[in-house]
Order: sequence, then structure tokens, then C-alpha cells
Amino acid sequence: MHIMEGFLPVKHAIGWSIAAAPFVGYGLHVINKRVKENPEQRMLLGVAAAFTFVLSALKLPSVTGSCSHPTGTGLGAVLFGPTAMAPIGAVVLLFQAILLAHGGLTTLGANIFSMAIVGPFAAAAIFRLAKSVKLAFGLSIFLAASLADLLTYITTSAQLALAFPDPTGGFTASFVKFSAVFAFTQMPLAIIEGLLTVVVMNSLLRFNARELQEMKVTAPETVRA
Amino acid sequence: MLTELSAYTNRWRRVTPTAKGLFSLCGMIAAFAAGSSRTALLIALMLTAAAIMGAGVPPMRYLRVAAPALLFLVTSALSLLVSLDFGHNYATGVSLHLAGPEMTRIAHVCCRSLACLTALLFLALTTPLPDIISLLRLCKLPDTLLDLMTLCYRTLFVLSEVVHETLTAQSARLGYASVAISLRSLGVLIANLSVQVWQRSQALHLAAVARNNDGALLFLPPDFPHATRSISRAAISGILLIALAVTLP
Repeated sequence: MHIMEGFLPVKHAIGWSIAAAPFVGYGLHVINKRVKENPEQRMLLGVAAAFTFVLSALKLPSVTGSCSHPTGTGLGAVLFGPTAMAPIGAVVLLFQAILLAHGGLTTLGANIFSMAIVGPFAAAAIFRLAKSVKLAFGLSIFLAASLADLLTYITTSAQLALAFPDPTGGFTASFVKFSAVFAFTQMPLAIIEGLLTVVVMNSLLRFNARELQEMKVTAPETVRA
Repeated sequence: MLTELSAYTNRWRRVTPTAKGLFSLCGMIAAFAAGSSRTALLIALMLTAAAIMGAGVPPMRYLRVAAPALLFLVTSALSLLVSLDFGHNYATGVSLHLAGPEMTRIAHVCCRSLACLTALLFLALTTPLPDIISLLRLCKLPDTLLDLMTLCYRTLFVLSEVVHETLTAQSARLGYASVAISLRSLGVLIANLSVQVWQRSQALHLAAVARNNDGALLFLPPDFPHATRSISRAAISGILLIALAVTLP
């Protein structure tokens, strides 16, 4: 779902960078506050960035027979919070551009916006909403992870459609085209990532319930159940 | 990682990252300033030559690093080539056709993207990440963000090793024999890694506190000989690259 280096016109590249900057800035402000209150959070968030980077190197079995990798957007948002995920995502995307030539420096702003802002905020909102309507923990996690994935790819499609509107059908036709291209791989991947996140959270609940409570992901009663 | 291998072993390893960053930036500006596909291709060629002939990056390694991005560029180009037509109303159905008149513009976008990619590869294959982080520190990026980068860089190889060892152990127990089993094994692996993240960060925090660390993770900046000369050369080469992109049709 990364937009590759140099693909966006210069105005769009700058525009998306400006749009992403306040979120990253606010995320840094929140991290600074968290670090002041709990100094050990600084190390946790730094290692979390490495964790997210390593996740992107894992091969995910896909329904189409091909392989892709988990984005970790939903899992990261649930474990570390959506505001912290903006700077963490920015670091991961920068590392992916430099170390793997995946994404790019000129498209960093656009990629941060779709993958480190829209995805995590959507995941956190869906998770909270699902918890508030008393959905099962596993279902809440599945919905948060897979819908965040889908929203990320919809945002990328919109970014590309805005940059390259169809000569005849305009933005709408272009958006439909890019969404259709991505849907072929992203729809099954979103479902698989949702299932994977449920397996991860179930394992964490089973073996590391105390850590989840300390990360404020679960309430004590959830774990007892 | 191939990029890291190149970054630490190329001829320009000891050249100041400011010079390499400046040249890469100029390459990107030149790519965007190029008025035609041919000019963008020429910029891409010059940046590739700088990495291979100048910095001494082996051509095969360069290709191996660039290959996934090039494949991605081809698929992106294909998606631009196809155009959707809804007709006069949406009920009549959608027709697919090749965006023939747009061909020149699409070619230009792809060549610009290729030129930008070569500028990125120039920086990535000649400059180790810690040098790039020290360059970003010079650019006055917030300390918190730089700390995140430093910690991320220092732990990602540790976590990669853990992942590799766990994958080997799981594979030896047929943990990836089918799609369903793979999904479960991968889930358990990520869960285990999540906990390790938490535990390793605690250990790192204790180690830092034991050494009276009370703020940003600062390191002595490495010393690069002839920095001024390198920066001047990079600036001149970069300006020439931009001038070439602007003047050529």
C-alpha cells in the first residue's frame, strides 16, 4: 500500500506532508508527556518502532497464493495507542524507504497519512466502539485490525485518484480503478491480518495477561473471564 | 540487509553524510524539474552511475535492491495505463480502455519516479542509517523522534534475529505446513515478539537508568575528513544536475 518514491506530483507530495505533520507533532507531544510521567515508555516506544518494522518483513500467507506482509497498524494502535503510532509509523516508513527502498522520501507524508494516521486512528476508534457496544473481545480486535487495513487502502486509493484523476471519469473513475486494483490483494489481506491479530491477542491474553493490563489494553475482569 | 551492507562497504563510506544527502536531494529536485521522460531518464542514469562508478556499489547488488521497487513501479504504471469510462450514466455499465492520449504523461510520471528512486538508492546505498540520523540531528529534528530512530535501529536487528530463530524452530516442528497452521504459528510468533518488546524495553530502561541516563540518547558524531571539500563538490554536482534537468527539453 506504499506509494512509491517520486510517484506523486510535487504539490501533492508537499500537501500530504503538511497534512501529516500536525499529527506527528501532536504524537511527539503526547509521547513527551508519557515519557515524563513514565520514563520507561521512551524505550518501549523505540522498541515498538523496531517491532513494527520487523512485522513488515514477515511473510503472510495470502488466499491468492501470493505472500504479503502484515502492516501491524491495528495491533500497534491497540497496544500503544493511535497518537503514539503517528511518530512510530513515521520512523518505520522512513526506515522502510531507506533500508528496503519500499515507499519513499518524497511520498513519506502521503504514506504516513494513510498508514500511520488513518489506519491507527480508525483501528482505535473501531476497537473502542466495539467495546462500548459490548462486542466480544476477539471480534472487536478482528474488526479493528481488518477495517483499519481497509481504510488505509481506501485512503491510498483516494490519494492516487486525487493525483491522477481519470481523463474522462475524473476523481470518481480513478478512485474506483485504484480501489479495484488494490481490492484484489488487500481485501483478503485485511481479513487475514484481522484473524492474525486475533490470534496474537488471544496468545497475549493467555500467556501475558499482566502485560496487557499494564498496557491498559484489557481491564482486569476481561482477563479473569 | 543489502542496503546496510553497501552503506558500510562502499568507497564513499567516509564522505560526510551532509554531502551525500545534499547530492541526493539535488537529484530529487532534478527529477521533479525534468521537463521530459528522456531528461528524467538521463538524471536516473547519472545518479545510478554516481552510485555504481563513484561509490563502487556492485551493479548486481544495486539491481537486487532496486528490483522490488522497479516491479512496484511497473505495476503502478500499469494501473495508470488503464482508464475507466462510466459512459453517460452509471447504469449502462463501466468500460475499460487504454489511456492512449495520456501515454506521454504516464511515461513522464514513471521516469520521474525512477529518477527519484535512483536518488533515494544513492543515499541508502552509500550512507549507513546512523549517519543519516546524525544528519537529521543537524537538521534540528526533535530529540524524541531521533531517540525513536536510534532505538529502532539498535533493536531491529536483535528482533530480526529472534524472528529468524523462532521461524526456524517453528518450521522444524512443521509449524508452516499449511495456511491455517501458518496463520496460528505466525500469530504465536508475533505475540511472543510483542511481549519481548515490552520486556526488552524494560531491560533497556533499567540499563539506561543504571548509567544515569536522564534525557536524549546522544552519541558523539563521527568525524568525517575533508567535509567542506566534499560538501562543495556535492553542491556543485547537484546544481549541475538541476541545471541539466531545467535546460534540457
